[in-house]
Amino acid sequence: MTDATALAAFYYMAAASVASAILAVTRRNPVHSMLWVLALFMHVAGIFLLLDAEFLAAVQVIVYAGAILIFYLFVLMLLDLPDEEIRPRFGNHWPLAAAVGLCFAALAWIAQVEPLETVEAGKGQALESLRDVGMALFGQFALPFEIAGLVLLAAIVGAVVLARRRIGL
Amino acid sequence: MIVPMNMVLGLSAVLFAIGVFGFLARRNIILMLVSVEVMLNAVNLSLAGFSQHLENPRGQILALFVIAVAAAEVGVGLGLVIALNRNKPGAGVSDLTKLKW
Repeated sequence: MTDATALAAFYYMAAASVASAILAVTRRNPVHSMLWVLALFMHVAGIFLLLDAEFLAAVQVIVYAGAILIFYLFVLMLLDLPDEEIRPRFGNHWPLAAAVGLCFAALAWIAQVEPLETVEAGKGQALESLRDVGMALFGQFALPFEIAGLVLLAAIVGAVVLARRRIGL
Repeated sequence: MIVPMNMVLGLSAVLFAIGVFGFLARRNIILMLVSVEVMLNAVNLSLAGFSQHLENPRGQILALFVIAVAAAEVGVGLGLVIALNRNKPGAGVSDLTKLKW
């Protein structure tokens, strides 16, 4: 892929992800919000591909779009929310929330305007994405990897305990 | 490097701000959790960008851990939503002002 095509693809995916994120937080129907979040996740996965993070893109599609979003949709369908479309979308304080969001965006934008210093060539070896990630994950980061597994186990047990129907209570 | 790092960071900042707005403004607890997902995605984006910029896979590893913790957070969060829904139907946070009912 030439640089110009890649840059054009990045601009398209950046614009599409910002648009779908805005739609996701403003739609009245929660299911529509979920579908826009799906569009956001897919476009972010595309940006991961452009950033040479192929494994992260695959995990983004499989875990985020495939598992987490389906989980949200299941819970949304399980709960009966008939009056969701009648109730106000935002709380009364939404202008304050918008101001906080804009302030944060402005701050972060100012922080990133300064050009970053570049790494001198040859210092870091070129990334062979999947191989390097795998070697680091199961070598240097083996302990955090196991702890992440423990966190997921604790979350599964916690979710079961929280959501189970308590008999005789 | 094809994609300029500053553009990635700017996009990440904008997405994070949208997530902050959604979390503060929405009154539906499920959509608040979804806004948190948007924020986490913005952070992952900047981590992947730094990983490419510094030619170091650690950014991607950290993003993977963020995804794992996000999955755990969703499990516990939605379990709480279901438990709350059993006591009092609806998903509006304005209804959940009492700890006991």
